[in-house]
Amino acid sequence: MYAARALARALAPEDVRERLSRARIADAGHGYDRLGLSREGALAAIAGTSFLYERWFRVRSSGIEHVPREGPAILAPNHSGTLPLDGVMLWADVVRHGDPPRVPRIAVDLFVPRLPLVFTAFARSGAIGGDRTTVSRVLADGELVGIFPEGVPGIAKPRSERYKLRPFRPGHAELAIRHGAPIVPVAIVGAEEQWPELARIESFHAFGAPYLPIPATPFPLPVRYHIRYGPAMDPRPRFSADAADEPAIARGLAEEVRQAVQGLVDATLRERDGVFG
Amino acid sequence: MTGVLVTGATTPFGLALTHALAAAPDVTQVLAVARETQWPGASERKLTYISLDLTRERDVRDLLFGQARELGIEVVVHSAHHRSLRVHGPRAHALHVDATRQILELVERHPSIRRFVYASSSEVYRRGAGLPSVIGEGHPIELSPEMPQKLRDRVEADLTVCARSGLSRCSLMVLRFAELLAADSGSQLADYLGSLVCVRALGFDPMIEVVSIEDAVRATLAAVASSAQGVVNIPGADVLPLSSAIEAAGRTAIAVPEPAVELLYAARALRRGYEFTWRMNRWRFRWGGVLDGTRAHEVLGYVPRARVDFRAVAQAAHPGTST
Repeated sequence: MYAARALARALAPEDVRERLSRARIADAGHGYDRLGLSREGALAAIAGTSFLYERWFRVRSSGIEHVPREGPAILAPNHSGTLPLDGVMLWADVVRHGDPPRVPRIAVDLFVPRLPLVFTAFARSGAIGGDRTTVSRVLADGELVGIFPEGVPGIAKPRSERYKLRPFRPGHAELAIRHGAPIVPVAIVGAEEQWPELARIESFHAFGAPYLPIPATPFPLPVRYHIRYGPAMDPRPRFSADAADEPAIARGLAEEVRQAVQGLVDATLRERDGVFG
Repeated sequence: MTGVLVTGATTPFGLALTHALAAAPDVTQVLAVARETQWPGASERKLTYISLDLTRERDVRDLLFGQARELGIEVVVHSAHHRSLRVHGPRAHALHVDATRQILELVERHPSIRRFVYASSSEVYRRGAGLPSVIGEGHPIELSPEMPQKLRDRVEADLTVCARSGLSRCSLMVLRFAELLAADSGSQLADYLGSLVCVRALGFDPMIEVVSIEDAVRATLAAVASSAQGVVNIPGADVLPLSSAIEAAGRTAIAVPEPAVELLYAARALRRGYEFTWRMNRWRFRWGGVLDGTRAHEVLGYVPRARVDFRAVAQAAHPGTST
């Protein structure tokens, strides 16, 4: 344990260590917040993702200034890739570049907590179960939450439909209206090509997984990741909190967010210099 | 000015609550009730102790319409239950459920009692991978037939009180405490931490929440004084991963594949007579779950603040295993 902590300190870039020391974590008394996030865990996650973020995917980030400096807010990115490395890179990007530093709470699919080791590691770095109660509580506490509104269908798109966003589920819009949380549309480009899928075993449901992807390569490809944040969409001037119970309003806002994300994705695709460039 | 009747008054929680009530300036009388023949605590001017078997209907009726009425009791805090999992069968059910139901029926037509506070537990909540990590009062209830009788009884008693809420002329409140971590309190975690080596499931290190007796008493005092109704979660000031709880208790944690954990603890219970059972705790020891204390704050003004001394609890749970 002590060796792991020392290794994390050694591998995490110094400026990120300094940023993490300034990030607000609501310590519940033993160095962890009530859902398991710890500064040490976040530091370990930064150390563990440094190679992927800096060297392998060479992430280019733009528009981070659109992420609210404080209060509840929702990051709403597109979702893609055989495995959800896009969520990991988004988390790392916000921790590395957000000003002031915030540790986003990425909401994971409900089967993820069943995975031994994985969810414990995720929880220490701030991931939370993607159920409404937990996400709602975290927003009520004024935190920054990452929700992939496409869900698993976003990840499961065939290659021919890459970067064509699936319908956005309205849950994030409902929560944003309820809590007065601005939604930051985010485009993640590169993840669609990161790990070509050879096949999938649809009948595999161990740990509650929707299916088992069989990647075509043993490792993800060293594609260039682009993470682009758009202007925050603040529901407060338009809707009262009670409007969250109006299905048409929530669906309408979710569709607006989807269009905003699709616009950011399209713009980034036009501007990028090839998949690896 | 209030007179309060406390059942289960000789448990560590009951004792602390009784003394706190006796010391409260706005409490006029405390009628403490338990099975033990002698009151184990210090005597107090406002305190009356009665040794009583709550499963005997006639005795309960005589208590409520006799001494309780004479003392002007207005609030009942019902916390009596068997602390051991090993006590089971109809006698245990009679105390956990039938006695609760009977007391409820009697207080509803009692001339002076206007409030009933039931001390329940967060054990009644179901834990699972697909369930929220934050447990609100509307969280699913553990209704699995696999669970030990004590837990099934607690669920039944809790829901029995909930079913009367809003229908009774008495105001009813159910307090669902986080695990009360204290020796001799029936705490599964205290018994678990009693071993020098604590075995946990490989790959899982859930968040565990415990409440101190001091905080539990403070929340109950607020519930006694309040007129609000319904279910209220009572969170604790200690929320930490299971591995950290083991470390805080001065124990050594070993992670092994889960089937082996179950076997080890079954063997431990058989050989050493310990209370902890993996079957009852396996979902909690995989996925944890923490109580949402928003309602307790809003309704009772309660915020947890007193921490538990894990090391002292672990050593008291099984003396002779000090490190």
